[in-house]
Amino acid sequence: MVTPGAAMLEIRDLVVSYHGSRVLSDVNLRLEYGDSMAIIGESGAGKTTLGLAIMGFSEGTTSGQICWQGRDLLRLPEEDMRSLRGKVVAMVFQNVEDALNPVLNIHDQVKEAMTVHRNGPGHAASARAFGLLEAVGLDHERAKSFPHQLSGGERQRALIAMALANDPDILILDEPTASLDSVTKGDVIEILRAAASDKISLVITHDISTAASLSKKMAVLYAGTIVEMGRTEDLLKNPRHPYTRGLIRSYPNMTTTKDLQGIPGRMDREADGCPFHRRCTQRTDICSRLPPSMQETNGRLIACHRGGIVPLLKLRGITKSFGQREVLSNVSLTVLEGETLAVVGESGCGKTTLARITIGLCDPDRGDVLFEDETLRVRGLEFYRKVQMIYQNPAESLSHRMSVLDLVREPLDVQRLGGRQEREASVRKALDDVELPSDDRFLARYPHQLSGGEAQRVAIARAMVLQPKLLIADEPTSALDASIQAKILRLLQNLQEKRGLSMLFITHDLALARKVSDRIAVLHRGMLVEEGPASQVVSSPAHPYTRCLLEQAARLDATIGSPGVESSAGRGAAAQDRDRWIGAAAVNR
Amino acid sequence: MSAKRSVRGSLANYLLALIAIFSLNFVLPRMMPGDPLQAIYGQEALVAMTPQMEAALIQKFSLDQPWSSQLYAYISGLFEGDLGYSYYFRDQVSAVILGALPWTLILTGSALILATSLGIVLGMESGYRRGGSLDRGLIAGLIFISGFPDFFVGIVLLLIFGVSLGIAPLYGSITPYSGETGLAYLLDILHHLALPLASLVLVQLGAVYLLTRNTMVVVLKERFVLTARAKGCTDRAVRYRHAGRNSLLPVITATGIRLPQLITGALFIEIVFSYPGVGLLLSTALDARDYPLIQGILLLVTVAVLTANCGVDLLYRRLDPRVRHAR
Repeated sequence: MVTPGAAMLEIRDLVVSYHGSRVLSDVNLRLEYGDSMAIIGESGAGKTTLGLAIMGFSEGTTSGQICWQGRDLLRLPEEDMRSLRGKVVAMVFQNVEDALNPVLNIHDQVKEAMTVHRNGPGHAASARAFGLLEAVGLDHERAKSFPHQLSGGERQRALIAMALANDPDILILDEPTASLDSVTKGDVIEILRAAASDKISLVITHDISTAASLSKKMAVLYAGTIVEMGRTEDLLKNPRHPYTRGLIRSYPNMTTTKDLQGIPGRMDREADGCPFHRRCTQRTDICSRLPPSMQETNGRLIACHRGGIVPLLKLRGITKSFGQREVLSNVSLTVLEGETLAVVGESGCGKTTLARITIGLCDPDRGDVLFEDETLRVRGLEFYRKVQMIYQNPAESLSHRMSVLDLVREPLDVQRLGGRQEREASVRKALDDVELPSDDRFLARYPHQLSGGEAQRVAIARAMVLQPKLLIADEPTSALDASIQAKILRLLQNLQEKRGLSMLFITHDLALARKVSDRIAVLHRGMLVEEGPASQVVSSPAHPYTRCLLEQAARLDATIGSPGVESSAGRGAAAQDRDRWIGAAAVNR
Repeated sequence: MSAKRSVRGSLANYLLALIAIFSLNFVLPRMMPGDPLQAIYGQEALVAMTPQMEAALIQKFSLDQPWSSQLYAYISGLFEGDLGYSYYFRDQVSAVILGALPWTLILTGSALILATSLGIVLGMESGYRRGGSLDRGLIAGLIFISGFPDFFVGIVLLLIFGVSLGIAPLYGSITPYSGETGLAYLLDILHHLALPLASLVLVQLGAVYLLTRNTMVVVLKERFVLTARAKGCTDRAVRYRHAGRNSLLPVITATGIRLPQLITGALFIEIVFSYPGVGLLLSTALDARDYPLIQGILLLVTVAVLTANCGVDLLYRRLDPRVRHAR
């Protein structure tokens, strides 16, 4: 009887709609025994609808198929479906206030899950119910309790025991850890992990950390459509769809270090084309016209016309020497759309040269700079409309003979964009964006009348007035005091959130880099010694030089000079490292 | 332990209410202006009273003694089941009431059980099929009927089934002088009971039905109903064991509140059908101004309502563990 695909849950082109509006569209999933899949997404994405559809509880109109052992669950008569519920397909509900019947004790409720399917004699069901409750951590006395006598965590355990009562083949977990404290959550996840190992399990949650610990595969649902699917670990580490990245960026966790960022706009089910296009920062014309189809690359499925987050800037094998000294040797880097890449290193490591080569202020000896997948030979007006730079010292980068209006308008003048009035309106808008006054008095000011923070913001406004895609920021805040620095960085992050601005962020400050960047590249004596997600570089640096930088990074611990809880031996080694790497650099300079 | 304490607490409450009622019954006639004997027995009784009888009564109620002795006499009288003497019936009040009580108990008891159980079942089925034809038909029909007063429904039924169709007796609780025994006697009782019972049930049914139905509609939306269905529970199990049992709770409470209404309803119905119960007795006593009898009946009704409410309370405790375990 076991034919290939028999022991498999397959969802094909599932569409569920209520009152003519689609809650799920074209969902395709294949799950085999032992598979665990997490469905993540914002509330209203259709996650619960999917779970209920598999249970046969769909209230709207459905099309497509949900196949289990050659039977289409969507077309099954109600009585047949009922006999599968709880026995073959079981659901662990979220422990909301009334998920359990208030007038029956939980043992009876667990027992009922077996007796309704006539699964053996009553006393055996009773004994098994006690056993199941015991296994999830509820003793005999708790088992005889009524729901109102139990805590949220205990109720959740009871709901799990109930779902496991008939040892189902398919286990659907709907927000199984919501509203639990973190310790209870850990326990519940352990129980669920053990229970789901030999079944097909589907975790429906907005809680990415629960999804991560309960699933091997993950699908991201947006407005009823799966936009990305792949192995959980890969997907979380390297999200390819802009929405997935946005979800992860907005989720508070201990793994990433960057400040939380939201996703602009709100979910819109009725959108034509790609459901996400109105909130997407890399959309093109086609995105609003056609819904993207699911494409597979390297085991990752992604529904995006642009093939996921696009690489905006690529540096390939950049080498540059000044005289005898090689400042950069064979540096390759990629900056993705809407991403911040921090290039970190001490003074003289070549990071400013790298920025200058990228923007075209000097040419590399060898290597290519690619922007939007085109090798740059000559940089024309078009390039500078999309790429702008801000410098370390605003006093030097702003001409002291020009007013604020002239300074910010200059890129528009160069690009010959719009008429006089339009340009002035753009200038005012740019100043508003960087939270500067945009009245006539301020527009008439000259750089010497501005404070340091104001001047740097004028420089940022000048860069942003063209609405570039890539901003190269060379130590943009090192001349400012901490509170103004914080404000300006917040500002840049907001611009990134709103417009999908990419940033090449050059800094010597690792503490700063870890808060503002998605990835960090460490440069040492012109060589790229380490590159990776910001959290990984900071928490488990691979290169000794990175460890040195980390040790030197700003801390607020009271004990000066002894970072962390290093043993004396460890400290000795660290000190040696420091001498070797930083001392050497100093001599070299 | 806390559960036991709370049961004891509510029993104490009922006891307090009972004491309050007996005290009022004791105090009121004695606070009225004039002769307490006149207040207790009424004008008419005093006219027919001989001086010997008056002296005997004064002695019985210890009316020439201080009030503490009067209270003692009253309480000891109560314990002996002595509610006074009915001049109209020329018998002890307790004996007169006991003669009528079984008929009322049969009528109100079966009306209560029938109306409540039928209302609950219809309400659950109707709520489960919300918007269906059964649901809409029942709502319209039952609300229409329950809008009439009980005696009106009684009169209409009497006219249709008793007068026009002639299939039901016009009055009484048994066929007089038929001398039937056994099953025939029982059938005769049921035959006489049918119309008064039907009118009481019809009018009472609407409230129970509507409350059950609406509670059911709300309860069906609760999450535990989905949990039950996800377990694979059959429709019947979902309807009765899960949704139904939870919908019962407010209905039980409302039943306690509805009791006095049922009893007044029964009073009128008994008059309409000349059913020889306590209601008809009360009517007679009122006509005859038989004060001791009136007082005795009112006392009995109050005690009955209190007892029934106490029973409802205990039943609620069985059905809802949240009340059972509440402190």
